[in-house]
Amino acid sequence: MKANGITIDDTFAEAFGMSATGVIVTADSPKWARQATVTMSGFGTSVIGCGVEVGIDRELAPYETPDGRPGVRVLLFGFSPDALLPQLKNRVGQCVLTSPGSACYAGVESKTRIALGTGPRFFGDGYQTAKLLGKKKYWRVPVMDGEFVIEETTGVVTEAVGGGNVILLGTDRAGLLEATEMAVAAIGKVPDVITPFPGGIVRSGSKVGAKYDGMIASTNDAFCPTLRGAVKSELAPDTVSVLEIVIDGLTSQAVANAMKTAIDTIIKEGLDKGVTRISAGNYGGKLGQHHYHLRELLP
Amino acid sequence: MSGLTFRLNTYPDERIDLSPLIPSRLASLPLTDILALVVGTTKRQLKVGDFFAVSGQSGDTVTIQGGSEHLDFVGAGLDRGTLILNGDAGAYAGRKMTGGELHIRGRAGAWLGSGLSGGLITVKGSAGDQVGSMCPGDKFGMTGGIVHVEGSIGDRVGEKMRRGTIIARGTTGTHAGSRMLGGTIWAEQGFGPGPGTLLRRGTLIGPTVEQMLPTFADSGKHDLVILRVLSRYLSATLGPLAPSPLSGRAHKFSGDLATIGKGEILIVS
Repeated sequence: MKANGITIDDTFAEAFGMSATGVIVTADSPKWARQATVTMSGFGTSVIGCGVEVGIDRELAPYETPDGRPGVRVLLFGFSPDALLPQLKNRVGQCVLTSPGSACYAGVESKTRIALGTGPRFFGDGYQTAKLLGKKKYWRVPVMDGEFVIEETTGVVTEAVGGGNVILLGTDRAGLLEATEMAVAAIGKVPDVITPFPGGIVRSGSKVGAKYDGMIASTNDAFCPTLRGAVKSELAPDTVSVLEIVIDGLTSQAVANAMKTAIDTIIKEGLDKGVTRISAGNYGGKLGQHHYHLRELLP
Repeated sequence: MSGLTFRLNTYPDERIDLSPLIPSRLASLPLTDILALVVGTTKRQLKVGDFFAVSGQSGDTVTIQGGSEHLDFVGAGLDRGTLILNGDAGAYAGRKMTGGELHIRGRAGAWLGSGLSGGLITVKGSAGDQVGSMCPGDKFGMTGGIVHVEGSIGDRVGEKMRRGTIIARGTTGTHAGSRMLGGTIWAEQGFGPGPGTLLRRGTLIGPTVEQMLPTFADSGKHDLVILRVLSRYLSATLGPLAPSPLSGRAHKFSGDLATIGKGEILIVS
């Protein structure tokens, strides 16, 4: 099918059930709240290689944060709450505790909780103090620029979804990147989702397996423009570049909303940038519990 | 808002114990049994019906119309629902409360909120000594909940308090937070002499201290994020009753260094 001159494949994105947690990081300025969260999101693109998928959900205005300062909400996705725990501890301990003026609070509210400040508080070496306000406990850890305030626990959900995606194909490499950036920026306004890859974009889509022993994934040769003609290609003759947006969300609906937002943006803006086709990645529908059919997400 | 109303007809000439008049204890009682509840504290064994006219039906709210400094244990043991006293309360109001809301639209006596572990107490006037403190025989004072006093509070507020928050929109008397183990006391108009005597942990917040103990160390002026968190928590919990929000700027005094010294007095402007 076609929309505004762009072909939409009759296919679906296949995604997986995951566990997720989140934190709100605040600082004296939006710049430093973002700096701390960009740092803690580093090396958090794929759960396979990084142990966790991490990204910024959105920036928070002062009235939305527990301490009335500018903040950023970060979401982390992993295979299980147990797998999230060491990642959260290390990333908060090394990237947020260390960042000037930062404070760290629960970013997901749910009955099931995992430790947040339980580890970093020991950095206080006995000088840390606790403050219980209502049902929330905060630790105050003395540091060289004052105090690092961190909530004791954060929520964790096991109904999250990882691996929602859209694949964008175009005839102009620079134009396709611009259009994809616009789609990622639009997803940035959708709550409860992250796009964990660099700038939200993947240029190295993968297929399952490889010719080499021990590799569980390798390049998606059917979508590599430079292999057209040499392999069984999925690409039209004029396609020169393919980019993918991978989406993780706290709920299946959040992932669907993000995919719909990306598709809407590309349909509106993509043709002028050389986008010719929108597709999605799947494994035949047998591996992932969540299927997002592109035709159901069209405007 | 359904509930029972107790109208005080006879000014009590002895101290009376109103701890039975809370929603959970009255829920299953017929009116005749309620009128027969013993509230007197002498051998006369005076009953609810000797002092109060009762109207309404059992529900989530109990209202007491008319107060007296002889009305002790108002809302003691309250675990849910709301108790409103339109008048003054005697001693031990809200003692050992675990939940719900107690609103005293008058003054409160000593030991208000002693042993409080949850819920909210508000007082329209001032409160006596030992608010949120331990009573003889108790291990701790308050261990949770919020006490909000629109006026001032007497001496030794929060003695051996472990958790929770006490707010005085006015001042506190001598030795606020003595032997305190945790929690927060916020005196919006300032503390009397010697706050934090033998303070181990916990936070005392106010604009002035009448006389600082020599066992508190000047730790300098800071911008404390936890004060912003506290302000927002109280604003969300108390609404219009919340004290004016704190900017975070505070002059910190650490102590009491005669003990482990992990407590603090924060002088805020």
